[in-house]
Amino acid sequence: MKKLFFIIITIFSLVLAACSTNSAGEGTGGSTEAGKEQLVVVDWGGAITEAHKKAIFEPFEKEFGVKIVVNSPTDYGKFKAMVESGNVEWDVVNVDSDFVIRGGKEGLLEQLDYEVINEEGVMEQLVNEYGIGAELYNVAISYNTDNYSEENHPRNWQEFWDTEKFPGARTLWKYPTGTFEAALLADGVKPENLYPLDIDRALESLDKIKDDVSVWWTTGAQPPQLLASGEVQLAAAWNGRVISAQKEGAPEDVEYNQALILADSWVVPKGTSNKDLAMKFINFAVQKKQQAEFSKLIPYAPVNEDALDLLDEKTLSELGQMGKNAENQVVVDLEWWVENFDTVNERFQEWLLK
Amino acid sequence: MIVPEKTRGIPLADPLTKKFPKIPGLKWTLLIIPAAYVLILLGISLVGLLKLSIVDESGITLKYISRFLTEKVYIDVLLITFKIALYVTFFCLLLGYPVAYALTKIENTHWRNAIFGIILVSFWISLLVRTFTWMVLLRSNGVINDLLMMVGIIDEPIKLLYNTTGIVVGMTHILLPYMILSLYSVMVGIDSRLMQAAQGLGARPWKAFIQIFFPLSIPGVLSGSLIVFVLGIGYFITPALLGGPENLMISQLIHDQVNIVLNWNFAAAIAIILLVFTSIFLCISALIAKNYSALGGGN
Repeated sequence: MKKLFFIIITIFSLVLAACSTNSAGEGTGGSTEAGKEQLVVVDWGGAITEAHKKAIFEPFEKEFGVKIVVNSPTDYGKFKAMVESGNVEWDVVNVDSDFVIRGGKEGLLEQLDYEVINEEGVMEQLVNEYGIGAELYNVAISYNTDNYSEENHPRNWQEFWDTEKFPGARTLWKYPTGTFEAALLADGVKPENLYPLDIDRALESLDKIKDDVSVWWTTGAQPPQLLASGEVQLAAAWNGRVISAQKEGAPEDVEYNQALILADSWVVPKGTSNKDLAMKFINFAVQKKQQAEFSKLIPYAPVNEDALDLLDEKTLSELGQMGKNAENQVVVDLEWWVENFDTVNERFQEWLLK
Repeated sequence: MIVPEKTRGIPLADPLTKKFPKIPGLKWTLLIIPAAYVLILLGISLVGLLKLSIVDESGITLKYISRFLTEKVYIDVLLITFKIALYVTFFCLLLGYPVAYALTKIENTHWRNAIFGIILVSFWISLLVRTFTWMVLLRSNGVINDLLMMVGIIDEPIKLLYNTTGIVVGMTHILLPYMILSLYSVMVGIDSRLMQAAQGLGARPWKAFIQIFFPLSIPGVLSGSLIVFVLGIGYFITPALLGGPENLMISQLIHDQVNIVLNWNFAAAIAIILLVFTSIFLCISALIAKNYSALGGGN
């Protein structure tokens, strides 16, 4: 019996030892290594990371003599677990802007230090106590260019909903944010009267198109692939993904009229050991020079409006930021969504199952 | 009691204890290490999960569990999950039983190894790869639709993807090896002389099969179905990629609550409810198995 007891104790201590060395190893994420300060930055991975690297991370490393460790993708579950366990490996994280408000409320984020961060030029809606805009993206009407042409394609959500004039399978985002705005615009609601969203009306509008939506996409990579393979002819998609696919030769294009603007933001997880450097990094990332460089590399628009002056016309039109286009875009009201997401999402899921 | 001519599944403990007779408590150690591993790691996290599902900042509450049980949409998701898992179990059994039976009948070792090889290779290929392959095969301008249209069976593509068909096809393919291997492990232990005896006493082959072989293979059917069903209700990637909006399965719901909505209390409540239902199913099948052997259907 003594032996049995001994064995159990040994196993327990082994497990505990494994856990504690693990956390000790992870805890050093922000400290110095070979004398150089390190900053752990997290974003969504793929093409966007490459653009961030060239436009922001590498210049920052040079200017401040530090090393940036990139981690991807952003994972809110992991984020919350880190902060709650007091084991924060991440210093700066690129998140969906609604997370700035949600995370702030849940106590997961550090307040930004606007003594360090110069927010001049950054869109007002995206300057928040707990986060600041990183880049803009939109949910825009996209089409397969084999079936539709630049002259003949749906130019607004009403036409996107018109399955007689524009036949073909469609794909919509399986996420209420953006999708409900599109449904209401399709039903004739004026952009300035969108909020607060009329959920019943949005669902009725979605009823009309449900049979023609062959896929409800969940990841940004799906719509360009579905358009390219001919599985669908029309999509409500993230513009950057479609333009990237187009550059690689896929037969698809974006209509920026009535595009629904959403944003990513930079935040700092609560309890990071590198708060000061994180603030310096965020300040660096939102300045017009870095913002303009970023938008040259990937078709996501800058949050700093001064950066637009540094971009040529071709880039601006690829970003959907040329004249008429920019005026007809609709900025998604994230504050409204934070308050209402849970209830609306429940209704949406219920509707999808019908 | 008939002793099979070839005793398969020799207990490993015998040669081991003979070889190391001097090490005291070896058997115990071998048992305790995995048991402690499971108990400590799984036990602690399960307790944490249970706590999360009934305790939040405001104290002990049943609101998360009752939210799940009172909102129709969540009950629907639970039912859809069970429905799909049942379909998958049924088709795995339908496809797996003949294969497993054939494997016990084939005398030629080369053939048997070849068939095993195919089953195991499909077992080892990444789940994601197999799921994506089905997307290529099933989509409206994919291989299967093109072939059917070329032959002239259909005039326009039929919808095989992003609906229940897609999920069931994909999951059946992925879970089939589990079914075949559990069926085979039982079938191979059935003494073939019993069938000969039945036929010798005048039974036709199919009657001998139905009255002798099939009842003896029931334990394999039960264990295989149970494995496939239980794995099926927890599936995530395959339904997410091959299913449509009407096929929201419970693991996707948990994922959304953990990673998007960040409502961990509710996610834990859903997980606990899933665990309870799974346990109920396990108990039912254990009871069936017990009754079955009590009735003398087994050996």
